[in-house]
Amino acid sequence: MLNLRKIAAILAGKLIAALSRMAGNQGTNLPGKIALEIYPQLLHELGQNIEKDIFLVTGTNGKTTTANMIAEIFKASGNTYVHNQAGANMLPGITTALLEHTDITGQKKLDYAVLETDEANVPLVIAEIKPRMILITNFFRDQLDRYGELDSTINLIKKSVSNTEIELLLNADDPLQLTFQASSSTKYWHYGLDVTNYDSFNGSESREGRYCILCGQELEYTRYHYSQLGKYHCPQCDIINPAPDFLATDLHLENGIDMQIDSMSITSPFQGLHNAYNILAAVSLAKLAGIEEEFIQSAIANYQPTAGRMEKFKILGKKVVLVLVKNPTGLNQSLATLVQDPAVKNLFIALNDNAADGRDISWIWDADVEVISSDQAHINQIICSGKRSGDMAVRIKYSGFEPAPIVVKPSLEEGIESAIRRESEACYILCTYTALFASRKILLRMQKKYPELEPERKKAPGKML
Amino acid sequence: MEKFIIAHMYPDLMNLYGDRGNLLCLQKRMEWYGLNCEIKNISLHEDLEFSQFDMIFMGGGSDREQNLVCGHLLKRTDQLMKLIESGLPALFICGAYQMLGSYYKAQDGNVIDGLGIFPFHTECRQGRLIGNILIETEINGRKTSVVGFENHGGRTYFTDPIIKSLGKVIKGYGNNGEDKTEGLIYKNLIGTYLHGPLLPKNPVLADFFIHNMTDRKGIKLNRVLDDTIEKIAHEQVKNKILAE
Repeated sequence: MLNLRKIAAILAGKLIAALSRMAGNQGTNLPGKIALEIYPQLLHELGQNIEKDIFLVTGTNGKTTTANMIAEIFKASGNTYVHNQAGANMLPGITTALLEHTDITGQKKLDYAVLETDEANVPLVIAEIKPRMILITNFFRDQLDRYGELDSTINLIKKSVSNTEIELLLNADDPLQLTFQASSSTKYWHYGLDVTNYDSFNGSESREGRYCILCGQELEYTRYHYSQLGKYHCPQCDIINPAPDFLATDLHLENGIDMQIDSMSITSPFQGLHNAYNILAAVSLAKLAGIEEEFIQSAIANYQPTAGRMEKFKILGKKVVLVLVKNPTGLNQSLATLVQDPAVKNLFIALNDNAADGRDISWIWDADVEVISSDQAHINQIICSGKRSGDMAVRIKYSGFEPAPIVVKPSLEEGIESAIRRESEACYILCTYTALFASRKILLRMQKKYPELEPERKKAPGKML
Repeated sequence: MEKFIIAHMYPDLMNLYGDRGNLLCLQKRMEWYGLNCEIKNISLHEDLEFSQFDMIFMGGGSDREQNLVCGHLLKRTDQLMKLIESGLPALFICGAYQMLGSYYKAQDGNVIDGLGIFPFHTECRQGRLIGNILIETEINGRKTSVVGFENHGGRTYFTDPIIKSLGKVIKGYGNNGEDKTEGLIYKNLIGTYLHGPLLPKNPVLADFFIHNMTDRKGIKLNRVLDDTIEKIAHEQVKNKILAE
């Protein structure tokens, strides 16, 4: 029998999605929200149309990139799948994704669902649909978490998976994920990095989860990959990194990312150690889903970074890289990637304090901005932009960077122009959330107008390391 | 070169919202003034001896962390009081500031004893006081504006008019969101709710502490630092707050 209420919910959702797209909005939450109001069982029932597996991807950083990569792998291997859009990672957004991929009666079958899920929404989502597996990228504390929200989120996730059949795919290098070791009747898998050339031997000063989540003792590290990710052991309860089921070795970050995951060679146009983790996580999941290696390799090799995730532009013959930064760990990682790039560069950072960016910008002081002053960084000029360009400039100044080349230009347009036109081989454009899309528009326009060097500005390439 | 030691009290536990930026700021400015400054991290496992320090800094923390720290500090509160009385520069932010008072009443009604150094207390109530804040204060006889960001559930009330607030709230909440006062200044100690962090974009306050430190050692600072960038940041926030 036809379920009219369900059809009404799906129709309403699809209609609102279409209208909101026509109005130029992404409209990713509202359709799901309305549809659930009309028919609360909708998410539960649509979840039953997934014939193979449902995968949730959660964690503090890297959710979107990892989920996108998994979706690319499913696409390359000829599977049908549903995948929610960046940012729409709570219950309504996930419902929108599923209702947009179904037919009016809500019966259409698909092979997989890859659902990027906000950490706090994991228990809500698995109350509705039963995933085969949850992939966790990492758990980072940031300034919003000083009241223990992260610990309670981790505990909620742990509680919601205990005594279920749900498998966990965990980061072996993240000590905060040890908490799942103690949970009963859960099957887990681990991915991790072998020793790399990019490790450091002392941690930075900023406060991260470097305490044993089981006993509270300060962890001892033999290596840090970045932040609290590394080779650790707890002197009190003797726990060490779990042995990875998927181990990445021979990591090279000089030109994109190259690495070996068990017997498989992986190459990606992405940059940076944090993206190496995202790829490793996506590849591990694809292997567990039983996807053949050739599809995994080609999907990762062909997948280009999306908006603000190390997206590359070519303007005036220069490489220009756009990066979204939203918390200290993200900023640390972006700066580390920039330092690894041997090109002489200008750095543009736009800091806004709108609600979506976070009104409190003090997190920039929890990031280890000091790396920009190292000899390998090769930074010519730093242009600070956005509503809080002054705060950013002060942060840069107190990192020890010589004040002469710090420029304050609150207007994004002027700031970006100036960063690209000033002498350098490459440009890094770092933006907080609300500056990202405006900056991207400016870059696209400039790329179209002046992709190549103007003849009079042509110069011999600068020194390369 | 004379060496200055600033104690960073419990950096693992009491370091909220970029508070360590205050120390980065002091250390860099002292370097630019030609002074040698060491930051010494003090943990719960150490025996406290405040007399070896030229300045004390403590940031904010959660209730649980404040309890641990308060228990440790109580062992040497007498020494701390004497040194504050004799002009030891000290900066206490948010939770650390609250700890200087007689007690802190949590939202569940639980009363936690403070160090009792100053006659004030704090009551935690529903609704955190969050946002940019602008206050007006007087440092060395000169009126100056101070900008920052506050985020606290506690409301602080002075119980004796003998203590003086750091300044008057122009925009924002301050000590309690009622009486337009913010923070506390006593000799060379400042207690305040302002994060941001406080000192980098309020260089007048950073220099207040540095001059106090050098005066105590009989060193005269002749150099003037170029604060163009700090002033840009200060004015940008100030204008934003006034337009809000």
